Amino acid sequence: MQLSIFRIHSKLVEISWPKEISETVLSEQLIVQDFLWKEYGEGIREIRMGFNSLSLKLKIEISKQDCQDLLQEIHELPFRSNGFENKIWNIPVCYGSSMGKDLEKLAKLHQLSSDEVIQIHSKTTYTLHFYGFLPGFMYLGGLDERLYTPRKDLPERLIQAGTVAIGGRQTGIYPMDSPGGWFAIGKTPLKLFDINLSKEKIPSIGDKIKFEPISLNEFNSIQKESIGQS
Amino acid sequence: MNLIQSKKNLLDKADFQIMIKTPAYIHFHQSGMMTSVQDWARYDMVQYGVPYSGVMDRISMTLVNHLLHNPENAAVLEMAHVGPKMVFEMPTRIAFAGAEADIYLNEKPVKLGKVYEVGEDDVVEVKKFRRRQWLYMGIQGGLESEMVGNSRSWYRGVTPRDKVVKGDSLTYMYEDRYFPPENSHSKIKANWYKESAIKVFPGPEWEQLPNLLHNRILSKTFTISELINRMAYQLEESIENNTEPILTAPVYPGTVQLTPGGKLIILMRDAQVTGGYPRILQVDIHSLNILAQKRSGEKIKFSIIGDE
Repeated sequence: MQLSIFRIHSKLVEISWPKEISETVLSEQLIVQDFLWKEYGEGIREIRMGFNSLSLKLKIEISKQDCQDLLQEIHELPFRSNGFENKIWNIPVCYGSSMGKDLEKLAKLHQLSSDEVIQIHSKTTYTLHFYGFLPGFMYLGGLDERLYTPRKDLPERLIQAGTVAIGGRQTGIYPMDSPGGWFAIGKTPLKLFDINLSKEKIPSIGDKIKFEPISLNEFNSIQKESIGQS
Repeated sequence: MNLIQSKKNLLDKADFQIMIKTPAYIHFHQSGMMTSVQDWARYDMVQYGVPYSGVMDRISMTLVNHLLHNPENAAVLEMAHVGPKMVFEMPTRIAFAGAEADIYLNEKPVKLGKVYEVGEDDVVEVKKFRRRQWLYMGIQGGLESEMVGNSRSWYRGVTPRDKVVKGDSLTYMYEDRYFPPENSHSKIKANWYKESAIKVFPGPEWEQLPNLLHNRILSKTFTISELINRMAYQLEESIENNTEPILTAPVYPGTVQLTPGGKLIILMRDAQVTGGYPRILQVDIHSLNILAQKRSGEKIKFSIIGDE
């Protein structure tokens, strides 16, 4: 794809892709990230991603000319399948009723039944593009167009940790209690993000996320188990 | 001469002793409004959406740690609006910098930029804030709160606490050793805070604004609104615009966002790691400290840095 580079200052640079949320962009981002760490790792402090951007914070200074050269180098990369291993994470979700109080409202908005919403939402495989908004909040790509729902005009004061929600063209899981304007459709009994978790237990960028409908009973028993573990 | 000699002996003796450090507590009889422990920043967990956090004003943090001969990154107490009332369990040394406030040690006024000896059961009280926004208290050896992702900076959901509440205690290390008196203290040059020009670089979406808006934003005097916290400072004046929305993209402390409603939001130390509003400017790292010390109602102007 045609990329561009923007130098904010001598130690902060952003590479951008065309404005779209896609797996193609994501795989190119991962290839570029991998290349940058391997070739220039010593000069890099941090790499951070958005849907169509990759931001580079540097330890060293970079000139405008360096940026153009870097972009040239990136364009010459073989953008073939990168061979990254993408894990699939199955996340149990209890949809509707007290766990997802906006499910019916959302279904009505789209002239669907609650079951249809659950079916559409849980049969999709989502892709983790990056983390943002809250610690542990995953930006997921792949929501079915039929479930695109504008955010609420007035954000809710409290959305509970574990809530699975839809807002705009995205779906996500609230990792902690937070105010929010998304429609709550369900809740997972899993504690998805904890500062003390080891890396292998936290989904990485590029990994796949699937939601698995469970009953209230299953929700309660999983929750009990996970409390027992911690 | 004798006196100096004997001090020197004491000092030498202290250097050869094995330093015994024991934990001691600061007890909070009043919490203050926005009292928290901060250090430089937490850079290690940004991949998981964890903000950098860290002190709002790095210049003041550096100053108190320098005065106390602390490691550069020793954790300090950050305060704003209304300060706490603290009781120290064991002797130590403290220093203040940043906002001008009414500070008392056992009811005697305390100055900024000076090291104070605190004794067992001494009371330090921070009352009215007079000028500037954030006040820092450094303590001998630094505060000892939990280390998470290589930082002690408090942030909700990341560290066990996010702000001090009444009845809380904080740990510091008490050292039974001799400290030479601080004869001279570095004079505080508070002038740097007065600068109203905030230096900025063009942000990724700056070029999408028409020239007319460039001129308007760079020539306008903006007022700091009431909406200011560790996450962001919103400006009062609006800039009408038709800027295209962007897909969620990286943002940093110092990123200036322009909302569709025309508000300018300057992201501060607790900023989220990504954002969805156009990023029109990026505040220079030094200017961000100056900006942080502005209070609601104070005026600023943006000034573009031409580099190279």
